[in-house]
Amino acid sequence: MILYGGKLYPTEKQSELLERLEMRINHTLIYGRLERETVLSALDSLAERIAIGEFDTLIAAVAPDDVWKYKQAAVTAMKRENLELRLSVELPDSIIAGRTGCLIHSVRPLGTLFHIAAGNAEGLPAMSVLEGLVTGNVNILKLPSADSGLTIRILTELIKAAPELAEYLYVFDTPSSDIEAMRKMADMADGIVVWGGETAIRAVRNLAPAGVKLIEWGHRLGFAYISGYTDEKAELSALAKHIAETGQLLCSSCQTIYIDTYDTGALDVFAAKFLPLLERAAETYLHTDIGAAAQLSVKRYCGRLEASAGLSPRKGRLTFYGSNCSLTVCRDSTPELSDMYANVLVKRLPAKHILPILRRKKGELQTAGLICSPEKRDELTEMLLRSGVNRVMTAGDMSASFTGEAHDGEYPLRRYIRNTDTEIL
Amino acid sequence: MDPRSVLFSHPDPYDIKGTDKVFVRAMRECCIYHYKHCGVYRDILDAEGFDPYGIKTPSDIARLPFLPTVFLKRHRIYSMPQYRMPIKATSSGTGGVYSRIGFDTQGLLCGLQMVLKVFGMRGIVSPQPCNYVILGYKPHKGNHTAIAKTAYGYTLLTPAVSRTFALRFTDGEYKPDLEGVARAVVRNSRSPFPTRFIGFPAYTWFMLRLMDEKGMNVKLPKGSKIMLGGGWKQFYKEQVDKTEMYALAKKVLDIDEENIIESYGAAEHPILYCDCKNHHFHIPVYSRVIIRDVNTLKPLRYGQPGLVNLITPMVYGTPIQSIVTDDLGVIHRAEECGCGINSPYLEIIGRAGFTDVKTCAAGAEEILKNAGGDVK
Repeated sequence: MILYGGKLYPTEKQSELLERLEMRINHTLIYGRLERETVLSALDSLAERIAIGEFDTLIAAVAPDDVWKYKQAAVTAMKRENLELRLSVELPDSIIAGRTGCLIHSVRPLGTLFHIAAGNAEGLPAMSVLEGLVTGNVNILKLPSADSGLTIRILTELIKAAPELAEYLYVFDTPSSDIEAMRKMADMADGIVVWGGETAIRAVRNLAPAGVKLIEWGHRLGFAYISGYTDEKAELSALAKHIAETGQLLCSSCQTIYIDTYDTGALDVFAAKFLPLLERAAETYLHTDIGAAAQLSVKRYCGRLEASAGLSPRKGRLTFYGSNCSLTVCRDSTPELSDMYANVLVKRLPAKHILPILRRKKGELQTAGLICSPEKRDELTEMLLRSGVNRVMTAGDMSASFTGEAHDGEYPLRRYIRNTDTEIL
Repeated sequence: MDPRSVLFSHPDPYDIKGTDKVFVRAMRECCIYHYKHCGVYRDILDAEGFDPYGIKTPSDIARLPFLPTVFLKRHRIYSMPQYRMPIKATSSGTGGVYSRIGFDTQGLLCGLQMVLKVFGMRGIVSPQPCNYVILGYKPHKGNHTAIAKTAYGYTLLTPAVSRTFALRFTDGEYKPDLEGVARAVVRNSRSPFPTRFIGFPAYTWFMLRLMDEKGMNVKLPKGSKIMLGGGWKQFYKEQVDKTEMYALAKKVLDIDEENIIESYGAAEHPILYCDCKNHHFHIPVYSRVIIRDVNTLKPLRYGQPGLVNLITPMVYGTPIQSIVTDDLGVIHRAEECGCGINSPYLEIIGRAGFTDVKTCAAGAEEILKNAGGDVK
């Protein structure tokens, strides 16, 4: 399905529609007047309708277990007060307007954004476009192959609320293999917003014409850092809950638990202490898909057999197996991805070595969940930030989202605009 | 006679109750043999605190540490010197990694007895000559897969008039030639002898569809049969309802449902499960099946879905007497079928793996893809 100028078309119409797209966008760029207020009120009214449950059945069809969670996330992202807060944090008047000497500063949309969205979170493609709209851009969206239809539905509703948005929204269900079509879309864009893993990003870099701005939202790694406790039991339980609840699938999820120690024996002691907490949390958030649960159990079991027979592929690692979870104590300290789904790595990282070790993965780090005694908090936070970490949270809140927060070290809206200067006579 | 031979020469291939004792004895001997001759296996049993000499009841067998097929794919382990294993068969290696299982001579003789008995009950072994269409690999010296060997072996169950292969080895790789197969089927329909189709369900389905689309509907001689085996493999998503396939087979080839026979087995568990007239896989006396909870790996009861643990004392070359496959299944009581075979039956309901994974953790996509899942 294609959404084009407010109307729906079948996929087969793609090349015909793409042919006319540049002309159409140019027309919008010349004559279009998209008031920010129009966008805000359209989004706010849609948020209202989502909040009262008008879209519950639709959301339930995509994420039956998480209706409330998705609803909450959508409403939070679209509510007027939150959008206004974001605008005031990300694009405050002080950076977007003003005057220096004979220059008038102002902000313009980047122009046309081509969004290549990953399907790793339902609603993400729509959210990416929403940020493009709030900043006044024309948006071309390539849907992820696994899109459930939710994106087009949301955007169609948005156009109903404000018909002038029709000229700012073009959604194609082009497969990533259709390089020719993707290149055409990329050629029309001033900025390409790409969400995804290394492969996706590399592919887009090959596709992008020189001069187009690449806005990459890549995948990241999260970890927890423990150096003493404020309330040990509560903090460790919160960490366990975070690990099990997110399945360690998010950029912000904890993959490795670092302990501030030189002593590997301390890691074993920690693992023995933490395993029962993780087991309890894993029990609560068991994988609902039987095939996935089966695969994880077999993988863990196989790892155990390999260890018994001295056949483990990675030496120097000792795994503590719990039911539906495991903790692997490692000798090295490099941040890395775990096996996920409550299978966590435990490594040592003395405070002195935080920076040199974490720098090995610079550009890939996102969230640190910090557990420590109150007097160490400021110092450790500073060290983590200096090492390239962009978010320092309490362990339980590693994946919580906050209105007005930056994303991977940047304010997204700022990446979708241009700062312009005009000399006055 | 040793208990394995007693088990495999038992007259009724579905007399589970009557073979329980000898099955346990055969398992005990088999486990002790592997424990003595395979260091890796011994380490595993020791680490899990399992004593093979203590196998005395069926519940001891349930406690026996099983090997997942993924373990066998990663590590080639044998309990015999190579020269004592006349046949080594590999799994078909969905995903590029395969296991390699060694068979001892006596195990192979047991297997032969089993095939003759199980297929005999389904009227498959006969002196009537047949044309064979193999919807699978044409064997060549570089192909050691169990499926190619088995498919070829099946063409020996009756005298073969002709053999046509759908997957031919040309220019260093296997290429499907369904059109060639369709032409051969039309040719066979004019032969006085029945035709037997042997092979993967997916290729069979593709062939039937191709013939239907081209209007190539034929009437094959009476006694023609379709023998399906090997699962849907990489075509898992295209799996069709069995009834749909039966209907198309009737329409295109004039083969009745009762002449469509499906079998189930694996290189890592070379026991022949042949479906009954109601198309259920009853468990033959040569094996026992335990369904295990996907989270705890503990045995489940009838009707509960879980991982399929397949147990047999047939093979001495590789310690595969208790393995867990990637399949998910359910065991049903014999009476739920009603075909008259007095043995529970195994229903395969899916595969272990990720079907709907959403992640943004760096590198996760690759790991999950390698694990066999689809990443959105």
